Amino acid sequence: MRQDLKILIGFYSVLAFWPLFFHNNPGIMHILILCLLWGVVAASWDLIMGFAGIFTFGQVAFYVIGGYGSAILTRTFGISPWLGILAAGGITAIIGILVGLPCLRLKGSYVALVTFAVHMILEPFLKSEPGRAIGTGGPQGILDIPPLTFFEYTYNSMEPVPWFYTVFIISFISLFIIYKIIHSNWGLAFLTIRDSEVFARSIGVNDFKYKLIVFAISAFITGMIGAVYAHYVGMMSHRLLGLDFFLILMVMLVLGGMGRFPGAVLGAFIAVFISEELRIFETYRNVIFGAMVILLVIFMPQGIAGFLFSDNKLKSTRNLMTLMNKKLSKL
Amino acid sequence: MLQEIIEVLISGITSGSIYAMMALGMALVYGVTKVFNFAYGSFYTMGGYLAYVVYSSGLGHLGVFLITLPVLFAAGWWTEKLAIKPLRKRDDWEMLAVMVTLGLALFLDNLHQVIFGPFKKSIPALVEGQTHVGTFVFSNHDVTILVAALLSMLFFVLFLNKSYIGMSVRAVAQNPIGAQIVGVANNRIFAYTFALSAVLVGTAGVLLVPKYYVHPFGGWDILVKAWVITAFGGMGSLKGSFYAAFILGIVEAFVGWHFGLTWTIFAWFTVLLGTLIIRPQGLFGTWG
Repeated sequence: MRQDLKILIGFYSVLAFWPLFFHNNPGIMHILILCLLWGVVAASWDLIMGFAGIFTFGQVAFYVIGGYGSAILTRTFGISPWLGILAAGGITAIIGILVGLPCLRLKGSYVALVTFAVHMILEPFLKSEPGRAIGTGGPQGILDIPPLTFFEYTYNSMEPVPWFYTVFIISFISLFIIYKIIHSNWGLAFLTIRDSEVFARSIGVNDFKYKLIVFAISAFITGMIGAVYAHYVGMMSHRLLGLDFFLILMVMLVLGGMGRFPGAVLGAFIAVFISEELRIFETYRNVIFGAMVILLVIFMPQGIAGFLFSDNKLKSTRNLMTLMNKKLSKL
Repeated sequence: MLQEIIEVLISGITSGSIYAMMALGMALVYGVTKVFNFAYGSFYTMGGYLAYVVYSSGLGHLGVFLITLPVLFAAGWWTEKLAIKPLRKRDDWEMLAVMVTLGLALFLDNLHQVIFGPFKKSIPALVEGQTHVGTFVFSNHDVTILVAALLSMLFFVLFLNKSYIGMSVRAVAQNPIGAQIVGVANNRIFAYTFALSAVLVGTAGVLLVPKYYVHPFGGWDILVKAWVITAFGGMGSLKGSFYAAFILGIVEAFVGWHFGLTWTIFAWFTVLLGTLIIRPQGLFGTWG
């Protein structure tokens, strides 16, 4: 079995036991559940950005679309939340493709612009008249999203343990799917497009097709997870589109290492952990986070996964120290 | 009716002049360093807050201009030197540069919020009051903005064409390797360019504080608009950005007047998509 899968399974195995110790602490359970969810979002962002090399900033938008999508579907049409989650994934995937279409011919930074613009447009849309017409609830958002049910049991946020294990399973399956895609022919195609688009085309890799595929997959998974989140917290608000969530997602990616599975997942847990520890600084928290992103990108662009996968851990630690010394002495 | 239309037109031209400053800065940075500066909006906000701080400490409008410009220059310079330059040697420097500037933007925005609080701040205009020309009423501040913006751009264009550094900047934008061969210090030019763009957008921020106030996250709108303008005008072309700024400023004014202000952002987005789909190189752009 490959090393990256081993790391993922090892990590999840350890995680599986945490509820034994923390099941009486709803705060920690809540954070763990969020970590599980966001780890998948980070991993699917890594899929499209780290592996396929497409600079998108639309992940948060897809997450929110998925959440709102399922919320609206389950409230307006009364369908089961499980169906809602899948449907939301589907809707988000379609939107992902629509977003990807104009980006096909564009160079890197332009894609960043378009996807960021999508993110910026989403908030006013949710608050606007047409938005409210389809049920987004305008500025207050949606406050009464139906919870998940499993046979006779209704999930509720007072009992985090069943939520934990459900999300555990959903996230593991999602991550496994991402793993499989990375190591498939599609994954190879993504890598070729990332490393050298022109060369990829010249050997017959249809970059338009693969770019749309990766947009669709990453949007599907992110939207689905957004929907799970919506049913978990029971409400959706446009405030998720604020840059707080965006910032923490970025920290996850940079910490975890782009393009190395399952770096993003590890990055997610560490980032959320740091974020919680930093809560004592209150408003300074985001300032510190922003500074962290800057420092991480300059000094440790490979992230934790880069470290884990390097052949010689001692050497790469030494290299990191040398690098830091060099940079600091140049100032 | 005609009166209203002309007023909207004038409002659009005034916005256009400011947008032109912002777009020039962005086009400059991208054209020369090939980096998308996500922190651009934050420099705008920084300009606004600097103006607020300087003015509030009693140094008056003159003090504002004397102090903010060098500080903005330094901010841009050091950003390039410290945050972007170390990344250049890596293969994936473009992506990393985007992430670093995004991190910087969020850092600066939150820093502003911590220091100044989440509420808007303002300073009084340089020239208060209004002038009447026939049936039209102009806010004196708007006139100041228009004049200041046009003067800045004139100065900037002269700088680019006549000064040694300006010519070096153009050389690096046209052909970085060729510029190096003839002896231009590319690294320093990159830093200069960043610094200049920070001054341009920060000055726009300073000019607009009396009118639109300054608030910690106000820069993102500016960033997106500057981008759309440079994309519409043509990423590599300063002339394109200049014209595009005025065109889009006027369009925005009319959309706001006719459909309501909340629709303007959708208009910007439509322009962006339209440009990218119909004519990705923009009006005057050279592709890339």
